[in-house]
Amino acid sequence: MGKTIHNHIRRLRFEHHEMTQQDLADRIGVTRQTVNAIELGKYSPSLEVAFRIAEVFAVPLDRVFEYGAKRG
Amino acid sequence: MSFREKSAWISFMSLLAVGAVWMARVSGVAGGSRGNPMIEFLALLVVLVVLEIGLHVAIAIQSPRDARTPRDERERLIDLKASRVAFYVLMAGAWASIGTLHLGASRFGVAHAVMGAILVSLLVRFATQIVLYRRDA
Repeated sequence: MGKTIHNHIRRLRFEHHEMTQQDLADRIGVTRQTVNAIELGKYSPSLEVAFRIAEVFAVPLDRVFEYGAKRG
Repeated sequence: MSFREKSAWISFMSLLAVGAVWMARVSGVAGGSRGNPMIEFLALLVVLVVLEIGLHVAIAIQSPRDARTPRDERERLIDLKASRVAFYVLMAGAWASIGTLHLGASRFGVAHAVMGAILVSLLVRFATQIVLYRRDA
């Protein structure tokens, strides 16, 4: 069965005072469209950006991204 | 629509419009070239530059923040993918242009074929960028 990368960025943004995509984008140095593409699973970021996202939410990387079986 | 996607649309449409006029002139569809072909070509080039600058300034005024933001890794990747596709089109066009020599084309004919190949490859580059931006949206 195929595996894919999932992320919890939408939930993490919600838990951090409904942080906007633009706010997160500004903090990690990418565009809002790129944050949206990452959130929707249409773009897998570089390790550096992945670590920056985890740093913003102050959580380990595996709480932001996980690698597992395809959903839905 | 993001600033970069708008920019790709502007470049695509401007090049398509100016390129169509140029193609029509050199192929004789629009009655052929009446003046000096080099002057006409340079005039079209100036029109293209003015169009590009004017429209890019307009969208930059609309969203100054996006215009100031440097390209990020996804946008650079989209640029690279689009350039790779365009490269193959350019190579095919270059070989086809050489082929026109064997069909008895004049040196101007070969030059026009090379210009056509460059034009088409650039159009493919911008079109690929638009498709990739749309796919991620």
